[in-house]
Amino acid sequence: MSEQKHVLEIRDVAVHFGGNGGLFGKTGAVVKAVNGVTLDIVRGETVALVGESGCGKSTLSNTIVGLQQPVAGSVKIGGEEVVGADRKKLNDIRRKVQMIFQDPALSLDPRSTIGATIGEPLIVRGVAKGKALKERVGALLQQVGLRPEHADRYPHQFSGGQRQRVVIARALALEPDLVICDEPVSALDVSVRAQILNLLVALQKRTGVSYLFVSHDLGVVRHICDRVVVMYLGRFVEIADRDTFFANPKHPYTKALMSAVPEADPEVQRSKERLILGGELPSPAMIPSGCAFHTRCPLATEICGRERPELTVRDDGARVACHHA
Amino acid sequence: MNNALLTTRLRRVPISVMIVCLILTIIVVLAILAPYVAPVDPSKQNLLGRLKPPGFERGGITYWFGTDDLGRDLLSRTLYGAGVSLGVASLSVVVSTLVGVTLGMVAGWFRGAVEIVIMRLVDIMMSIPAILLAVLTVAVLGPGFLKLVLVLGLTRWPRYTRVAYAQTLQVANLPFIKASELAGAGAARILFRHILPNIAGPILIVATAEFGLMILMEAGLSFLGLGIQPPAASWGAIMSVGREYIERAWWIVAFPGACLFLLVFSVNVLGDWLRDQLDPRSRSR
Repeated sequence: MSEQKHVLEIRDVAVHFGGNGGLFGKTGAVVKAVNGVTLDIVRGETVALVGESGCGKSTLSNTIVGLQQPVAGSVKIGGEEVVGADRKKLNDIRRKVQMIFQDPALSLDPRSTIGATIGEPLIVRGVAKGKALKERVGALLQQVGLRPEHADRYPHQFSGGQRQRVVIARALALEPDLVICDEPVSALDVSVRAQILNLLVALQKRTGVSYLFVSHDLGVVRHICDRVVVMYLGRFVEIADRDTFFANPKHPYTKALMSAVPEADPEVQRSKERLILGGELPSPAMIPSGCAFHTRCPLATEICGRERPELTVRDDGARVACHHA
Repeated sequence: MNNALLTTRLRRVPISVMIVCLILTIIVVLAILAPYVAPVDPSKQNLLGRLKPPGFERGGITYWFGTDDLGRDLLSRTLYGAGVSLGVASLSVVVSTLVGVTLGMVAGWFRGAVEIVIMRLVDIMMSIPAILLAVLTVAVLGPGFLKLVLVLGLTRWPRYTRVAYAQTLQVANLPFIKASELAGAGAARILFRHILPNIAGPILIVATAEFGLMILMEAGLSFLGLGIQPPAASWGAIMSVGREYIERAWWIVAFPGACLFLLVFSVNVLGDWLRDQLDPRSRSR
């Protein structure tokens, strides 16, 4: 029954864009946004997915909720296959997985009251209506630190942090097993970030929900995650438990990300060894041969351009895809 | 509580909108009551009293708006014509909005083959002159009030489709639509609960602009003998006759024209205000 503990199982998922299709045949190079990734998330766990813009983080999260079809691989939520599921099946599965988006201003319908927004999943799935619905919405609002009487207000009457609370309430309305947080605090003021993060942690303690936390802010990741996955050009390059990850990053790309995090203490900041990567992120339409990172890697040797390193387990349990680290 | 809310909201209605509503109400009421308020039969000809200026008196009746080329009372004709013009314009706007907006939203939401079929159909419709299409339809169906509404409604929908389609494309990519999908909402719910309210503003603008145009289209078709059949009156028909006599009898064009101006202006002001009201952001701060 160990299968049941996994709320999410991703196996060799690949998502490509373009290539064939289009009215006039081939429309150019295939963009390989996600290129064979495997990941499990257990109940109550928070997994961070980090990487720079364009590495495939958002594509992967869209694939998990079935908004994007992969070209290969399998995505199972609570043991049920998302890939190739029909509409009805997909709707059943989506009961268990919800999403929190980056910009709370855009993730709430400006023409709906927040009560209607939070209640929508409950109405369309016939969970509650009328008075019961009102009570559920009120309870959800209270759970995220708002008041039940806020239900009649419109999104523009709230601050950014409050709006993100509303988004969280909607995501939790169906009591999902997994919530994908797509950079949930990066659009917020620093002062309210901690509040939202603490709210997410508190809700996890109460409900046992798992989070897939997409972010590029390692400071945030360190604060709330159990495990960290680093993604580069559609592949995972390092997977490690949080403490291992921050104490002993191995992949040169991870090290570069770490050295880019500013320190609050100027003394520490000045003495910090900066590992600055040269060049730009290569286009996912033309991924370098071998190790995708070898074009920017300080450790790269001849083998890196030839052979792609697989994720291998290291002494401390971290899995790293690198020939040299 | 709710009543108090309503009164505070009413108090915030600007004076211009109140005036415009008053004008619209007067026009509509007069159009409905035309048979009772019109001083004489609008079709009664009087060849001795042709092209008489406003204020002309004959047989104890004062012709406040003057008479037309057949000596018919312009005031009565304008009153009777109001109903026709209002009816044709508003009904055809409703028909074309319903058809156009639905097709536009469907094309923008489902994309793919549906989108190609609908949008190419729009291109085809836009490339045929509306008048030509109207002439063709009337030639097949024959003239008449409801047919006129149908013809105007079914030739004007592509404009709404274009606007609705473009707006839908824009809104459909916003995260809150994605969130609704994840919540389990079906296409109908997303289209009518989330997309429609968010694209209603630009559509309302098109509809108010089209409203005035519809009255003129009706006039044009009536002028060509394809719309309202004489001797029945419509503002367009009166004006198209008056055009011939504009040097000798300005009043034939002037009175229905002024009414038309008031109507279209009022509808535009009201539409503008309504569009703002549709947006909760401008309703309460």
